[in-house]
Amino acid sequence: MSKFFPLIHYQSTPASYELLPFRFEQLDGSHDVVLTNAVGEFVFIPRMTLNDLVDHQLTQEDDFYAMLRSGHFIREPGDYASVELLALKTRTKYQHLRNFTNLHLFVVTLRCDHSCQYCQVSRQSEDKAAFDMSKETADKALDLVFRSPNQALKIEFQGGEPLLNFGLIRHVVETAEEQNKTESRDLQFVIATTLSLATDEMLEYCRDHKIYLSSSLDGPEDLHNKNRPRPGRDSYAKFSDGLKRARDIVGYDSVSALMTTSPASMTRVKDIISEYLKFGFNSIFLRHLSPYGFAVKTKSYQAYSAERWLEFYREGMDYILSLNKQGIRFVEHYSTILLTKMLTSRDPGFIDLMNPSGAGIAAVVFNYDGDVYASDESRMLHEMGDSTFRIGNVHQNSYEEIYTSENLLTALEESFTLSVPMCSDCAFEPWCGADPVFHHAMFGDALGRKPESEFCKRTMGVVRYLLDAMRKDPKTKEIFMRWVNKC
Amino acid sequence: MAYSLTLEQSAYSIEAVQKASYRFIDRLTVLITPTAGQIVCEIESVANTNKPFDEMLADFKRELLDQQLRSQIKAETEPVRNLILALAFSRSRLQG
Repeated sequence: MSKFFPLIHYQSTPASYELLPFRFEQLDGSHDVVLTNAVGEFVFIPRMTLNDLVDHQLTQEDDFYAMLRSGHFIREPGDYASVELLALKTRTKYQHLRNFTNLHLFVVTLRCDHSCQYCQVSRQSEDKAAFDMSKETADKALDLVFRSPNQALKIEFQGGEPLLNFGLIRHVVETAEEQNKTESRDLQFVIATTLSLATDEMLEYCRDHKIYLSSSLDGPEDLHNKNRPRPGRDSYAKFSDGLKRARDIVGYDSVSALMTTSPASMTRVKDIISEYLKFGFNSIFLRHLSPYGFAVKTKSYQAYSAERWLEFYREGMDYILSLNKQGIRFVEHYSTILLTKMLTSRDPGFIDLMNPSGAGIAAVVFNYDGDVYASDESRMLHEMGDSTFRIGNVHQNSYEEIYTSENLLTALEESFTLSVPMCSDCAFEPWCGADPVFHHAMFGDALGRKPESEFCKRTMGVVRYLLDAMRKDPKTKEIFMRWVNKC
Repeated sequence: MAYSLTLEQSAYSIEAVQKASYRFIDRLTVLITPTAGQIVCEIESVANTNKPFDEMLADFKRELLDQQLRSQIKAETEPVRNLILALAFSRSRLQG
């Protein structure tokens, strides 16, 4: 005699389930749809099962019933935990909002030794007074940094080439460290530099003050030098030498590299990835070129569309996944940002993919002249003559005036994706972002028309690639799980 | 010359038709006119669209079904969605 009642005893009556909030999208070239629940967790089900699900025709015997119930797409009477869990995950997802601004960019100079065609802001000038940040401006900006309630504060020095104003970097670092003796924040410094002007003395300073270096590598020597012209046409050689010395002095893992995807990069993605491997990097960020400043003026942005960039991205990802399957751990950052949202409850806090937008409330830019911008793209837009996202000046405005700037608050509110046409019904919305600055630059308003938006096409294209890769190959999902769960 | 598509309001809500039309705004121009019990869509292809009109029309009809299904899900799950959000922010001190 069995100690338990038969299974039927524990099952509720057929079709007694209730739908929980979810959204769906048809997958390309497939009879399957992807469903995302209230917090962006997803499942794949056949199209016919979706119709049965919505019509309350599924029974406990159906293949997908248990998965839909455990994934919080349906609940049976008495399933109180599912709503509690969804609420908890929602709170976790938006937890970063209460922390407020973390990333503070200091544009310490616009001067640069490079004259890259796609750069929006650099100046070829010997005039330090005209394009360098002063100590007075830096001190005012630092006061604002420490007004942020965020326990973690990151200060990133940008340019131009920030090493051309290294004296100011030292001033900011030491002033911040002094102030932090009483503040006790989790303080982090980063210098975004090509490394071409890095001396051993500078690198020793970075080592002593735990300053990370974010450098630039665009690919093989010919491509890198074409993208990054400088006197002597030796940008690649300078990077190679600087990287070796930086790793020796500051530490191997204290230097990362970012690439800029120029039109000349489009047919070279495998070469670019191989170059990163050659230099011992274990990751790459297959970024697209931002549509601002000189990039628009020189037509280099229009040189490739979202569709062309997606071909570049997909070819690169196919290659990266093949490397991982051979046992070579190599990560793509843009995918990892999206996958973190798709496979965990964490928000990685990438400004372009945040909702509400991270402009101003997750990151802020202090320009060399004291102007404050809601994002790096905002100051680039200003260089084009559009100052919509200039939210104040450190010499003229208080913390309260800057962060409650009407332009900032309006853009954040108008672009909130849960109330945007198309976004509000999109199954990919939990993983996407608002990016009001991009849409303002392209369409003249914070929303834009999503079906025509390159941002939307790009994000949808990447998400569809990632979903397809996971659906077709469990090994790929295992690789992605390792990417998002670093230990 | 615009293609005319007549839909029964008993099968499609005006909201579903509007949302489907918006999703196709880069490919199709849709003029929506509600009449007694019906919704008439006057559909034209946007200039410089490469895809054949018939294919876009078939895609549009599928999108209409999707949007109608989305409306149904949204209506049925609205109370529980509000409950989740209320629970999520119940300790945030943001309530009025």
